[in-house]
Amino acid sequence: MTVKKVIVACGTGIATSTVVADKIAEACKKEGINVNIIQCKVTELRSYADGADLIVSTTILKDNFNVPTINGLPFITGIGEDNVIKDIINILKNK
Amino acid sequence: MSVIRFILDLGAVVMLPIIIFILAVILGEKPGKAFRAGITIGIGFIGINLVIGLLSNNLGPAAKAMVENMGIKLDVIDVGWPAAAAIAFASKVGAFVIPIGLLVNIIMLATKTTKTVNVDLWNYWHFAFTGALVTAATGSLTLGMIAAAINCAIVLKLGDWTAQMVQEFYGLPGVSLPHGFSAAYVPIAIPLNKMIDKIPGINKINADPEQISKKFGVFGEPVVVGLLLGIILGLLAKYDAKATLNLGMSMAGVMFLMPRMVKILMEGLMPVSEAAKAFMQKRFASQEFYIGLDSAVAIGHPSAIATALILVPVTIFLALVIPGNRVLPFGDLATIPFMVAMVAPICRGNVFRSVIIGAIVIAVGLLIATNVSPLHTQAAIDAAFKFPEGATKISSICDGANPLTWILLKIMQIFG
Repeated sequence: MTVKKVIVACGTGIATSTVVADKIAEACKKEGINVNIIQCKVTELRSYADGADLIVSTTILKDNFNVPTINGLPFITGIGEDNVIKDIINILKNK
Repeated sequence: MSVIRFILDLGAVVMLPIIIFILAVILGEKPGKAFRAGITIGIGFIGINLVIGLLSNNLGPAAKAMVENMGIKLDVIDVGWPAAAAIAFASKVGAFVIPIGLLVNIIMLATKTTKTVNVDLWNYWHFAFTGALVTAATGSLTLGMIAAAINCAIVLKLGDWTAQMVQEFYGLPGVSLPHGFSAAYVPIAIPLNKMIDKIPGINKINADPEQISKKFGVFGEPVVVGLLLGIILGLLAKYDAKATLNLGMSMAGVMFLMPRMVKILMEGLMPVSEAAKAFMQKRFASQEFYIGLDSAVAIGHPSAIATALILVPVTIFLALVIPGNRVLPFGDLATIPFMVAMVAPICRGNVFRSVIIGAIVIAVGLLIATNVSPLHTQAAIDAAFKFPEGATKISSICDGANPLTWILLKIMQIFG
């Protein structure tokens, strides 16, 4: 089984992305998807985006680096969290 | 009371796991998970302590050599926000800051004095930091806790005040940013922006964020900044090639490792912050309230990124030329985006203006950071962080250079 590479980006690469990374890891485990989650700062995305299957960002992205992107803000606000998880799982399963 | 005193005197590495365990259980977490959260936080502290050691053991002597060889008197090391946050949470005020912050927020929501439900528990460290400095200055834990509560209240008001602007500019509906560092620059940036409006010629200038991000992109990669800065400092300290390169690598290592260590701290805090978030949302979340988030969510905006990138070299330049500055910018060169996160919307995305305002607040901020460095160092020692014998002093830009923190400190010192 292939390992999916998911990049979680935020302003610090620590604060909000840790929360998001944790929740994505949990959801993927439940769905039986193997993921390698990398956290980084948005300014570092250029160095990490290569070969990624998905980018989830809690902040504004001006470039998608030819990778599907998802707004991770619902993980932080708690509003619409279930829908985002569904979207993420769909993208990872269909890739 | 003697039990509380005993716990507080155990030192951060032991005290915080106990406090977090108790808090997590009170907020309804399972004991097993709460226990793990507590242990994780303690490990985060141990990790940060190691990296601070790496930083001060390498940069300290280089800064001293630089003073002797070049006469550049920058002997206060900027340890950066990860260390400042750890110092804050490890302080005695830090032990109480989560209940204090929640209580202030709940009281203000109940009395309709704020519309922000601040679910960003991690950034309560800013309030704890102010409190820790006050306690270090006055010796009074009570004054420190009062300062933290006041700081929390002011930041909630700043979050309310800027909510509409932030929502429109960043496209974040229903969100406000009650962030102890970012919000502190709002009351300064608004009048400065109005002043620039009145200067003919200057008020027309703008800059293209896209072009800047391309040219200055390297300043957004902390590891590269650390490496280059280490090498330059080695040369200024007149080290030989071997020692210079080693200093460069060590500094790249600090830039890479420090955030990793804070991440451990964050992971430990998560069960508590998630439980508190659920609690607050159940009671207050509705159309009329803003959800208070970390300003990290705003930092991806091209104007904010471009401004912060330019300000990295500007900060280093200012540190060299500002008379009276002794802070050697390092750890917080990566934190400048937070300084401009709420300045950018005030300037409506105008990068030129944001840079001008950023440069002004950094210039003043370096002097503030120099001024608080003895207390900053004391707070770190109080929080059981280890420094080598006779080490140089430490400070930070976030929050050592924070004007709101400084004003609160000076006011509380009157009562101390």
